[in-house]
Amino acid sequence: MSTSVIESSLDAVRTNLADRIELRRFVGRELLLWIWLESELFEGTLGTKEHGELGLWLEGRLQLDEGKEATMIKGTAPGLHREAKESLLRGKMPERAQFHLNFGDHDCTLVLRGETLAFAGLTPPKKEKEEPVDTGVAPPPRPKRKANAAMPAEIEHEGFFDRMHFARDVEALITALYRDFLALRLSPAWDATVVPALETWVAGGAVDVDRYRADRDRAVKRKLS
Amino acid sequence: MKAIRLRAMKPLEPDSEELERSGWAKIGEPFVIELDHTDVFYNEYVNLTFRTDRWAIPGAMLKTKVRDAEQAYLQKKGREKLSRSEKKELKEMTAKKLRRQVDPATRAFDLSWSLNEGIVRFFSHAQKPAGLMTELFEKTFSLKLIPESPYTAAAKLGLSKAQEAAWQELEMIALGGPRERITDEAAEEE
Repeated sequence: MSTSVIESSLDAVRTNLADRIELRRFVGRELLLWIWLESELFEGTLGTKEHGELGLWLEGRLQLDEGKEATMIKGTAPGLHREAKESLLRGKMPERAQFHLNFGDHDCTLVLRGETLAFAGLTPPKKEKEEPVDTGVAPPPRPKRKANAAMPAEIEHEGFFDRMHFARDVEALITALYRDFLALRLSPAWDATVVPALETWVAGGAVDVDRYRADRDRAVKRKLS
Repeated sequence: MKAIRLRAMKPLEPDSEELERSGWAKIGEPFVIELDHTDVFYNEYVNLTFRTDRWAIPGAMLKTKVRDAEQAYLQKKGREKLSRSEKKELKEMTAKKLRRQVDPATRAFDLSWSLNEGIVRFFSHAQKPAGLMTELFEKTFSLKLIPESPYTAAAKLGLSKAQEAAWQELEMIALGGPRERITDEAAEEE
C-alpha cells in the first residue's frame, strides 16, 4: 500500500518540497537498517510506547543496493546471511525488507520499502471460524444473501474495511517505530550509541546489548517526555 | 459527489480512438460505475475504486488479421501494392473489428481517502496506476497529492527545533567507509 498526503497539510514547508523529499530518502533505508539491527540484538522482540512488546524480524527477502548494484537475499532469516552484512560493508543499504510482524492479535508478513516507507504484501490474518457446537440437531438452513439488496455499506464492504483497518494498524506501528528511530537519529545518541553498535554488529563483533538498550531507551524516552 | 460522478468510469467503445481510459468506480465493485453517496462516503472516509480499461489485442493476432485484410483488399482491387494511407486505414479498421470481439482489459485498485488525516491510501505500488490515479484525483478534487516519503512522514510527526536542525544536517551512514580505508592502507603497506 502506498500513501499520499494532501498538500495543504504541508503548506508550511512547501518550498523546495521535491528537494526536501529526494535528498532525505536515505533516512528510510536507515530505518530499515536500524530495525534489522535491533531485531537481531533484541532477538526479534522490539517495542513501542503505544504497542508494548511486539515481534519483528526479517523473514523472506532482503534487498540491498547502492546505485545500480543490487543484492537480493532470500531465506527464512536473510539478515543472518553472510552476504547481507558483507553488502553493508560494501556500502549497500537495505531498500526493501520483508518482515515478520507479530503484535496484538496480529501475525503477518509485509515488505517495507525504504525510500517511500510504503509497505506491500500485507495480508490480514484470516478470521478463525467458530467451531459449531454439536447439539445433535441439524442447524437451520442459512438464509441466502441477496446481492446489494439494501445491504448497509459497512456489511457490503466488510472485507475492504477489515483490510483498511488492519493496514492502518500496521501503518500506526511503523509510524511509532519511525518516531523512535528519529528520536535516536536526530539526537547525539545516534553517533554515541547507535553508530558504534552498528559498526560492531556489521563487523561481526559482540555488541553490549544491555548497555545499548539502556542508552537508546534513554534517548527515546527523553524525546517522548 | 458531482465531481466524482463527472469522473466516474465510462467504458471504452470499440469505435472510439481512445485506447485506454481511467475513472472511478464503486469500492470493491469495479464494474459498478453509477455512484451514489453511500457508495463513496463512509464515516470520515471517501472510498473508491480506481479503474483503468485498456484495449489489449495480442500483437501477433492483429498482425495476422491485418495481413489477411490487406490480401483480401488487394485481390478485390486487383492490385499488387497498397499505399501507406491504405495500409494505415486497413490496420485501424481491423483493430476496431477485433475490439468488437474482445473485452478491454480491466485493472482496478482500491483507494481510501481519510478526510480527517488528509491521507490517501492507494493499494498499489506500480508506478503507472499510481501516476494515472494521481492525475485523476487532482482533476476530480482539485487537490495535489504528495507521495509518502521519509520526509513527509517526519513532517507529519512534527519535529522539534533541535530535531529540525539535525534533520537539515543529516548525512547517510557509511558502514563500509572506514573499513575500506583500512583495507586500502593495508594494501599500500603490503
